[in-house]
Amino acid sequence: MAATRLPRMPRRAGALIGAVLVGALFLVMAVSLVWTPYDPLAIDLDATLAAPSAAHWLGTDEFGRDVLSRAMAGARVSALIAAGTVAGAIGLGAAIGLVAGFVRGWTDRLLMSVNDAVLAFPGVLLAIALMAAFGGGAGGLMLALGLAYLPAVIRVVRGAVLSVRESAYVEASRVMGNSELYSMVRHVLPNMVGPIAVLASSLFGWVILAESALSFLGLGVAPPAPTWGNMLASARPFFSQDPWLGIAPGLLIAATLLGVNLLGDALRDALDPKSGG
Amino acid sequence: MGGRSMRGRFRRLAAGLLALGVAAGAAGAPARAASVLRGRLNADILSTDPGTKRDENTDAVLLHVVEGLVAFREDASVGPMLAQSWDVSRDGLTYTFHLRRGVRFHNGAPMTAAEVVWSLDRYLDPKTHWRCLSEFDGHGQTRIVKVQALDPATVAIQLDKPSILFLKTLARADCGETAILSPASVSAKGAWIRPIGTGPFMFTTWRPNEYVELTRYRGYAALPGPRDGNAGGKHALVDKVRFLVIPDGSAAEGALLSGAIDVLDGVSPSNLADLRASRGVRLDAHSTMDIYALIFQTRDPVMRDARLRRALALAIDDIGLTRVVTQKTAQANSALVPTSSAFHVGVQAQVVRPDLAKARALVAASGYRGQPITLITNRRYPQMFDSAVLIQAMAKTIGVDIRIQALDWAAELDRYNHGAYQAMTFAYSARLDPSQNYGAVIGAKTSQPNKVWDDPFAKALLKASTATADVAQRQALFDQLHQRMLAQAPLVVLYNPSHVAAVRDGVVGFRTWSTVQQRLWDVSVR
Amino acid sequence: MVGYLSKKLLLTLPTLLLVSAVVFVLIRLVPGDPAQVMLGDAADPSQLARLRHDLGLDQPIPVQFALWLGHALHGDLGRSISNGQPVLALVFQRFQVSAGIVLAAIVIATAVAVVAGLVAAWRQGGAVDLAIVSGATLLLSVPSFWLGLLLLLLFGVKLGWLPFVGYVPVTQNLWQGLAYLVLPVATLAITEAGVLTRMMRSSALDVMGLEYVTHARAKGLPESRVLLRHVLPNAFGPTWTLVGLVLGHLLGGIAVIETVFTLPGLGRLMVDSILARDYPVVQGCLLFTALVYVLVNLVVDLCYPIFDPRITAR
Repeated sequence: MAATRLPRMPRRAGALIGAVLVGALFLVMAVSLVWTPYDPLAIDLDATLAAPSAAHWLGTDEFGRDVLSRAMAGARVSALIAAGTVAGAIGLGAAIGLVAGFVRGWTDRLLMSVNDAVLAFPGVLLAIALMAAFGGGAGGLMLALGLAYLPAVIRVVRGAVLSVRESAYVEASRVMGNSELYSMVRHVLPNMVGPIAVLASSLFGWVILAESALSFLGLGVAPPAPTWGNMLASARPFFSQDPWLGIAPGLLIAATLLGVNLLGDALRDALDPKSGG
Repeated sequence: MGGRSMRGRFRRLAAGLLALGVAAGAAGAPARAASVLRGRLNADILSTDPGTKRDENTDAVLLHVVEGLVAFREDASVGPMLAQSWDVSRDGLTYTFHLRRGVRFHNGAPMTAAEVVWSLDRYLDPKTHWRCLSEFDGHGQTRIVKVQALDPATVAIQLDKPSILFLKTLARADCGETAILSPASVSAKGAWIRPIGTGPFMFTTWRPNEYVELTRYRGYAALPGPRDGNAGGKHALVDKVRFLVIPDGSAAEGALLSGAIDVLDGVSPSNLADLRASRGVRLDAHSTMDIYALIFQTRDPVMRDARLRRALALAIDDIGLTRVVTQKTAQANSALVPTSSAFHVGVQAQVVRPDLAKARALVAASGYRGQPITLITNRRYPQMFDSAVLIQAMAKTIGVDIRIQALDWAAELDRYNHGAYQAMTFAYSARLDPSQNYGAVIGAKTSQPNKVWDDPFAKALLKASTATADVAQRQALFDQLHQRMLAQAPLVVLYNPSHVAAVRDGVVGFRTWSTVQQRLWDVSVR
Repeated sequence: MVGYLSKKLLLTLPTLLLVSAVVFVLIRLVPGDPAQVMLGDAADPSQLARLRHDLGLDQPIPVQFALWLGHALHGDLGRSISNGQPVLALVFQRFQVSAGIVLAAIVIATAVAVVAGLVAAWRQGGAVDLAIVSGATLLLSVPSFWLGLLLLLLFGVKLGWLPFVGYVPVTQNLWQGLAYLVLPVATLAITEAGVLTRMMRSSALDVMGLEYVTHARAKGLPESRVLLRHVLPNAFGPTWTLVGLVLGHLLGGIAVIETVFTLPGLGRLMVDSILARDYPVVQGCLLFTALVYVLVNLVVDLCYPIFDPRITAR
């Protein structure tokens, strides 16, 4: 695998760009907590669909709300949803994957066949069905997306457990008379941190994308929270006349994903046991 | 009697001259291919038998072909169609219709009292499965006891109890306008063949799931005057009308832009801006009798305080809201009486203006302590959703904390029917008469949880409004109801949404109106 | 081979059954029912009850499921509640729209990815490689529907080359129909080319490090011949697997693209029918999509030996 990577310089540049983009996202989030140019929810029916100007840097939307303020607040909502979903899916998925990989036998077989059945089902589709069923709201969205991505997490974790538990030191721990549970917590878990971190970074990107897609379909988070997907969705009817409405949220999604992807690549390289530094 | 027949003769003369003029205009044009006007249906028609197996598409197509004794006018009142006039007995039980003379069915046979009696008797036969039978067999408002031909041009209908909605129900599009048909429309055994009516177009071709084609009826006897709803002077200005079945909305828009259809009736709000920007197409909007409103659950611990509800009503800039969410296609209306109704005058026509100072004072007086209020809305009707967003922002300016919950429409409807909400942006579908608009909201919540306004006095006013046909008296009752509704604010009426059509340049005379039913008569195409 | 195939197919049956049962129960547990949606706010309880009875919704859910399953096994998926059209025909008609776009996009994306991936691997570490990898990573990060909106803005609104609202079936008017498909296909092809290019480059690099490639080069074969005859066939396997995954992913996520371009495809049919509680259509759509998904993966599996001579069908 060592040969598949780019030379050191561009690789470092990629990691740097990724770090800067993700850092910028967190900065915007932090700033939006205390300050946005306008109240992201305040309407002005006499200044709807205004083009970018000194007063409104990114213009106003169909209700006269400031697009820049909404984009900033949207960063917070989108990132929080992504973080919550990833935490949930990874937490639950890692637990199930660990059990399946460690206990094996019937439990494993049962868990994995249910898992495969759910995997045979496109995740986005499942999320659409769940969101339509449970209605809007950040909680529902996190639940739907978390469930949609859970099977993939279980699979990855179980695979990693299987490879780790055959390794010499886990074997040694068992020979030394330590219990299965002890070996699992003491040796297997720490070795899972790397693959799980890589998985989490990709998952974060996927969820940001899926959240915006579901919101775009009208199945995402309901207001008051502005999310990037919601902003894109409400920009669609006016896009031919007032394109700036859709530019900012789209750029923000793309920049965030790019940052997460670049960081994920860097993380994978750093954690690849074969990389040797 | 003599006077009436004189007047009738003049009318017929005028109609004849007009028809001649139209025919002459068409004949005077240079010889050319038959002119075809192409419209769109979002689903195939269900049958060709008016008022039986039907939906909105079926009604719209068949009302080009058939006509009833009376028909809806533009202002939702009832006007003459095949009956040129009628008398109502003092007790309200006998309606005597005086038929127009010189009207011929598409097979050339004259329309007389015999066909009227035959048609009505057929509708009243349960085997016909007439949609509106339950209105006239005693289950609904009244019962038709007898239909009788007094002479070849006069028909009397006997009811068992008076009903102010009798004529309006006859005229309803979903009742097939209670169309008068030629008995040749059915076989000797009574099986349906095809509609042989008196309308400006004849039913000629039906290719299931492809199109329905109608052909101009040259022998049509038009009423004098301009087109007026389904009544008034109707003229076929093209040789053929073809309704293409295009289920998908965007496919229909593509068909309009590429020239495959001339008229697209029913444009989805989300594509308004795109179509407005398209070349070669113009939009035509008309307000419908649907009602968009903010409704409250008056039994809710927070919303039960009328001062809080009135405060919210006064915080809403209805004119601005309507302009923005309908993209300038509709006008604000604070009354349950729709803008296109003849009763929409005086106090009814005054839109409530925002008064933030008064609203804040009411909030303070109500003892509202910042409890969050959940406002349910949906994404199926973008305008309802947008209204909720604006209401939320407007409520915030008077310190009321509204949280929006977007359900899908099916779930919202379920909540509505169970009364399980604090506040909701909701749409009431069109009703025939202001009494029915009020009837949809007034009622006892214990027995009818879907009712919004539980007020015995309002119920009494409503009852009084259905007991009289006197226009001035009814207007006074509706005005009283309106004032009472504003004071108690169980709901805040926002506006009547518009029905929007897109037509290609070159189409002349197409107009939408207060119903969703499209009309391709009095429309020509260059 | 036939045994393997039938075993694989048999194994998918429980999955499909489970999926249908879950969907069947789930959508019925959600508040709101089709009778209410059809009759609207003016419905009275007796009308509702009659319509529910006519639609068979007043029976217990297990009975409804058994009836539906019985019909489904005979190839009858019922009729749409909202417009009476047969579900199978409806689903199939909409699927043609979605499948056409997805297939065209995936063919184009694969072709682009193979070339770009090979070139990048061949010029590994150079400026071309850097450009291709950066480009692919960038594409990976652009939401497809946003890219679609941008393309729509550029080619539909600003340049006016392509229509920006509506849809005309290809069967009705070939050229007009194709004009409506250009942008959706381009959008999907561009976004999916990113991930495929990265995969192709990585597996080509793996293969290039192998002995026989070095050997071929040592024999003095021209570079183009080494790439086409030795690297490409051996490096395509993993990319092909990914094509299968992407295809399934696209079929699931097509609703978004169909919304951007207002196309009457399967994705929108499903979203609309879920929202209208049109139970038979929802079930038909999901069952059909799951079936296609399974079949696509099976075909990908079966084709794998063709692209990777080292593996033969199990």
